[in-house]
Amino acid sequence: MSFAPELRSHSQKVCNFYKRAMRTLEAYHVARYVIRYHQVILRNELDKNKAVCDPKEHRRLLRVAENELFMSQHPIPVAKFARSVGIAGGVAYDRVQVIPDWVMDYWHPLEKAHYPEYFKRRECRKCEYIKKWNDGEIR
Amino acid sequence: MCFNSFFFLFFFMLINFFFFVYFIMNGLSVFFEWEIISFNSMSIVMSILLDWMSLLFMMFVSLISSVVIFYSKSYMNSELNLNRLIILVLMFVFSMVLLIISPNLISILLGWDGLGLISYCLVIYYQNLKSYNAGMLTALSNRIGDVMILMVICWIMNYGSWNYIFYFDFMKNDYVMFIISFMIIIAAMTKSAQIPFSSWLPAAMAAPTPVSALVHSSTLVTAGVYLLIRFNYLLIDMFFFKVLLFLSILTMFMSGISANYEFDLKKIIALSTLSQLGLMMSILSLGFPDIAFFHLLTHAMFKALLFMCAGVIIHMMNDIQDIRYMGGLSLYIPLTSLCLNISNLSLCGIPFLSGFYSKDLILEMVSFNSFNLMVFILFYLSTGLTVFYTFRLIMYVMISDFNLMMIYNLYDEDYIMLNSMFVLLFMSLLSGSFLSWFIFFYPYMIYLPFNLKLMVIYVSILGSILGFMVSNMGIYSLNKLLLSYNLSSFLCLMWFMPNLSTYGLSYIYLNFSQILFKNIDMGWSEIYSGKGIFNILKNYSVFYNIYQMNNFKIYLFSFILWFMILFIFFFI
Repeated sequence: MSFAPELRSHSQKVCNFYKRAMRTLEAYHVARYVIRYHQVILRNELDKNKAVCDPKEHRRLLRVAENELFMSQHPIPVAKFARSVGIAGGVAYDRVQVIPDWVMDYWHPLEKAHYPEYFKRRECRKCEYIKKWNDGEIR
Repeated sequence: MCFNSFFFLFFFMLINFFFFVYFIMNGLSVFFEWEIISFNSMSIVMSILLDWMSLLFMMFVSLISSVVIFYSKSYMNSELNLNRLIILVLMFVFSMVLLIISPNLISILLGWDGLGLISYCLVIYYQNLKSYNAGMLTALSNRIGDVMILMVICWIMNYGSWNYIFYFDFMKNDYVMFIISFMIIIAAMTKSAQIPFSSWLPAAMAAPTPVSALVHSSTLVTAGVYLLIRFNYLLIDMFFFKVLLFLSILTMFMSGISANYEFDLKKIIALSTLSQLGLMMSILSLGFPDIAFFHLLTHAMFKALLFMCAGVIIHMMNDIQDIRYMGGLSLYIPLTSLCLNISNLSLCGIPFLSGFYSKDLILEMVSFNSFNLMVFILFYLSTGLTVFYTFRLIMYVMISDFNLMMIYNLYDEDYIMLNSMFVLLFMSLLSGSFLSWFIFFYPYMIYLPFNLKLMVIYVSILGSILGFMVSNMGIYSLNKLLLSYNLSSFLCLMWFMPNLSTYGLSYIYLNFSQILFKNIDMGWSEIYSGKGIFNILKNYSVFYNIYQMNNFKIYLFSFILWFMILFIFFFI
């Protein structure tokens, strides 16, 4: 969590850093073998410090690594899935807005009077739904 | 609704074509005028000008919009509100036609404002946060131009009417015309996204791809160029044209460099459009409006085609626009890659495609006339950069290895989209020669030394080699220097000008307005009106309630007190 870093363990922070560093390498290089080459080198760099036990040293190494990642980030991060949000997400996130059904309850009665059959059926459906929820048929 | 609109616009295009041929062969120009009111020295008229230029431009606009609407029938197939998009596009075309046929500043304003507003509605069509931000940027940048046109309308009232074409020959050296020319140039710069108003064009790629093909490649962004072509007789000797030359050449150069560092497919094409707009503005400011118009038309054709091909590719790649995930697509989508390659080569100015006729003519005129060395260098450098990013794009998209996931979903057998692209392909191949025969009755006589004549070929070859090299980076490449964070972020983010013109300009004022809002709106004005008066009235009514709701004795006592005051006042 970015808002409470003290609640994450050191290994979680390292894994998060590793993923971001891998994505940065994917942003810089395009051919798959070039990406894998640089990723293997990166993995080797991390594996060199695998056996460190001192927490102070852990924090120092992570700080240095985060700083290096920040200084070498790509100005145009790569996004593999266009409809996702976050570091994997891209341009098509949140394109289709789904209007929730409860908006219909806020219609003015005069507007509702234009579609009497629909709203009558809607009230029946709502009652059925509440009954089914109370009976435990719907979770 | 799609097919109806397509047939209507196609038929409109055919009418315009026949009238254009008739008008240009006979040298005709028709001017309709309806006088609305005339008082003292002011006359308000509604006028329509139909000459070969307006008919030709209307023909191209209606052809591209008809083809784009036909394309969007298939592209936006899953869209629930497709009718909304079609209606917006039709309104856009109507505004554009109004702009094209008006010799009157009021109807130009109607078309100009309509273009800006409808392009805002089209950019925010998808309703995610990115589109909203992009739409706001587009609308506010265009609004500056609208304000300039409004001020021109105020100033030109000095002459008695808003028909500017009547005043060119007579009022050329007037002070009022000096001010008008300055404002017209600013308005055209905002619409055509020249520096410092160039941040909205790459951002507006948040719009759907058919919208980008129509609006952001061929119609909206060329409205500024068209306005300056109409005003050209007035502006030709003005100092501001030299400033426009400087800014447009810088725009051309800057966008050429930014396109080389960009990885979003639509943004690369948008920056390419920006580069060509800079080229049109610069050749216009050098004094060749007919060549600028020629390039405007040929560019519209191949750029719309390029956007449509990009749309097919994006559809195929599951909405991913990043060219780092594309590669080797020419094997799987042969017809689309045919259209893409021809439009790209036309953009580069490869001989005898449509772009060659206009681009080569522009470069030869620049070489033939004795202009500044910087002008010369930046023109050829930008031409080389155009070929550079074009070949880089072709390498990344068409030739390299495929980089995404599966290849079974790569297909382009959607014949609605393909048929619409073939119409523009036909025009991309032939419109250059066709227009050069129609527009230029007498060819320009150009005498150049041999090497200067071939300079275009030299820079094109150099650009293509660099484009090939930079997209083929292996493990031990030498061009890693260009990938350093500082340099690449500076060059790909358009020299940080969008940051300067948005965050840089508004930060101080927004901070100050927050202080004002907190202290005055939510502070003192609440005490002295609003909540303060409410509190006073409430406290008074509580105070008076003590007397009203209390027992009878106090009420009688106040009665007696009041009598005593009256007795003292009247009798003592």
